[in-house]
Amino acid sequence: MNKIKSINITGIRGVKEKLPLNLDKKSILIFGENGTGKSSLTDALEWFYKDKIEHLSSAEVGTKNALRNVFLSDSEEAKVEILFANKNLDNEKAISHSLNVYNSNSSKEFYNYAIQSSNENLILRYRDLILFITATKSEKLTYLQSIIGFNEVREMRALLKKFAGKYSKEIKAAGYSNKKSLQQSVLMECLGQNIISPKQFFDVCNKLIEPLKLGRKISSYKETRQILKSIEEKEDTEQIELISFYNKIAEVLAEIEVDTYEIHKVYKTYHRSFTELKKDFDKLSKLQLLKLLTEGLNVLKKDLVTDNFCPLCQQDKNKIVLIKELTKRIEDLEELEKEQRRVYQEAEELSSILENSLSSITALLKEKLLKEKESVTILKKLQNVKTSLTAYSEELKRDILSKEELTEPSILVINKKEIKELIAEAKKKAKEILDSQKGNIKIQIAVKLARAIEAYLNHRRIEKEQEILTNRQITFDALYSDFIKRQEEALDGFLKMFSSEINKYYNLMNPGEKVEDIKLIPIKNKTGEELEGITIGFKFFNKRKTPPSALLSESHINCLGISFFLASVKAFNKSNQFIVLDDVISSFDSNHRTRFVRMLVNEFDEHQIILLTHEKDFFDIASSEAKRKNWLVVSLSWTAEKGTSFETPLVDLRATIEQKLTTKNTDGLGNDIRKYGERQLKQIASNIEAKVVFRFNEQNEERMLNELISAVQGTVNKHSSSDLKNKNNIDSILGSPLLIGNKTSHDTTFKENIADLEVFWDDVKQLVKTFYCGDEQCKSFVAMKFYDTAKNQIRCKCGKVCYDWKK
Amino acid sequence: MDNPIKSGKDVINDFFAEILNVPNADEKTVQKLVDLYGSGKFTERQIVNAMDELTQAELKKIEKEDE
Repeated sequence: MNKIKSINITGIRGVKEKLPLNLDKKSILIFGENGTGKSSLTDALEWFYKDKIEHLSSAEVGTKNALRNVFLSDSEEAKVEILFANKNLDNEKAISHSLNVYNSNSSKEFYNYAIQSSNENLILRYRDLILFITATKSEKLTYLQSIIGFNEVREMRALLKKFAGKYSKEIKAAGYSNKKSLQQSVLMECLGQNIISPKQFFDVCNKLIEPLKLGRKISSYKETRQILKSIEEKEDTEQIELISFYNKIAEVLAEIEVDTYEIHKVYKTYHRSFTELKKDFDKLSKLQLLKLLTEGLNVLKKDLVTDNFCPLCQQDKNKIVLIKELTKRIEDLEELEKEQRRVYQEAEELSSILENSLSSITALLKEKLLKEKESVTILKKLQNVKTSLTAYSEELKRDILSKEELTEPSILVINKKEIKELIAEAKKKAKEILDSQKGNIKIQIAVKLARAIEAYLNHRRIEKEQEILTNRQITFDALYSDFIKRQEEALDGFLKMFSSEINKYYNLMNPGEKVEDIKLIPIKNKTGEELEGITIGFKFFNKRKTPPSALLSESHINCLGISFFLASVKAFNKSNQFIVLDDVISSFDSNHRTRFVRMLVNEFDEHQIILLTHEKDFFDIASSEAKRKNWLVVSLSWTAEKGTSFETPLVDLRATIEQKLTTKNTDGLGNDIRKYGERQLKQIASNIEAKVVFRFNEQNEERMLNELISAVQGTVNKHSSSDLKNKNNIDSILGSPLLIGNKTSHDTTFKENIADLEVFWDDVKQLVKTFYCGDEQCKSFVAMKFYDTAKNQIRCKCGKVCYDWKK
Repeated sequence: MDNPIKSGKDVINDFFAEILNVPNADEKTVQKLVDLYGSGKFTERQIVNAMDELTQAELKKIEKEDE
């Protein structure tokens, strides 16, 4: 499994200049106040692995646009370089001004690693913690399945189900039994019996042509057609066409007649469902809000709104409560949407049956013989049939969200009596023409043979089509059943294992809090066939409860979120042995924070952890645990010039100051000297136990140079009035205009010049020298811990620097 | 955590490895699905096309017999 040796980020988000992070496969604790660019580091890693940044992935923002640091010039690339324990995977990913993305590593090994990593759980942010816990049951299932790589499984399951349903519907809509029996009735009419095999067909056809004494036998369809051609006389063509025309009308209408029963039956069901759904019109019309609410929930979950107010109505509202309310409304609307989908499916079914009948009647209406004078009445009646079928189609166009009602089924009818009469009339006409040719045996036989072969071949084709689709439906049903069995077994095994891990981490962070036996529980739909969601259950004071958001505090819900993430890391990260935890403990109290850090360093000792925080007290707690485990510990800072950077070590800061003085570069020099002075004065004040006004942890670090120097002077004057008081240069520093300024000194109106800065730097160095022993063997400040009680002196470790000091 | 559980990929691979043994499944249909999965084309559109092709081939066969 892979660990990171170093990360170099340039020009990404808040990072302008190169931000190097040399990890050497070690874990790291990073402190950075809000606005120092902690999230830029996380964003850079997220982009490296996922090619997007979730909280910037809305259409409005767009990851790529927001990715580059705003101060980068067009010629500069924004880039993330990661060097790994496995050198073959080292890669620099860059994005140009024109938003083209490049990877320096084009090896197959890196490609596979990148694909695998994109599915791993590598980064957890505070905003993501509550996502799973407050998600709807179906979202939980979707999310969990995506974590365990079940997305493909879900998609495949849905596909198999869709195809099983598709063939079932196609078979139903095709009405194969009716179609086959219509063809059989034609065969009965022409050949006097039902035909069940080709052999039977040929035998009966041979009997039919016997009176013609052709001296030939039929043993194939080809021969049947040849014989048909040979017995059709030219002078009979017109009569045969006319008979065929009337027979066709009868056959098409017979098929439509059968379909009308199905059409009316399905329309009644559709009408009932449509009307029922429309009863709650107000609720239904709110379905149009589903997208908006879902998007709103996404906005809240992505933390795009950080304060407790509703981004739409701008009213004050607790964010967690708002998420819960939205989740409930979305679940209700999703149920309604399911009903709506069912109604649409019924409409599709009806549309499919109508399509068959409408295309048959439309084709029939194109027959050239219908243009003859004698056909005027038949044409009108056929057009009536088409109009009544079209009326059903028109009903399907009605929008469920409009005020319009569907026409009552009792009003919307196809005139079956007229169809029956038309069939009878067409048959009668065909018979009359045939009867008028009674003496013409050839025409009698030719008409029967032509109809019989067409009907039999139609029958065979319909039968084959039915057989193919039925086989297909059975196949997809069988595959679907087998697949869901496999999926459920795998998911069940996973949930048991996963629940026990979550339970373990949660209880390590919350021992003895009476929340036990946390379980992820699958929920099936009403029919018990489909898995439709997952809920979280647990024992609360020995009583089983679900879901957790109803009982647990925000802090406990977050603990559950962290436990969930960590369990996922252990279960499914196969390529990477590192994780990034960005400000995940914001809602924890100090007890939980300590337990969280301990759980992390103990349970994830094998992992490389990048732990970021903006909270000073947590940083303090975590630092001691982290150092014990040999983690790196650093702080981030931000300046307009450089963007995000790691706080410069003191020795480097001193070198920077000297360098700027040598080159007469005053840019930021005053700040650098003040920063150096502040950090040294903190050491001096701490060592001589100078008293400053009490401040809480997070503000304690904010003390400025003038405050610290005054405290040191007060303490020195009090305890060393005859010695150190006269040997220090504090008065010179206090009198310097360069001392004025806030932490960043942007507000000062004093114009610093190089000469003033040189003097100020000398003063600061002199002051430090007064309190610090630079001897190679000593290198320590004078401190109360080295106090010489015999001589009443405060001194450094070796004693070379010492002053009289009255306690 | 020991990892005796199956990932999504495992479930799918197992399914396709044993798909020909699923009772009542039509061999030609199943073989077509295996081919599609093997060539990374297991999508709705590709399945519809493949199944239509199969249907047309079967129907053509019977049409040929009927000529």
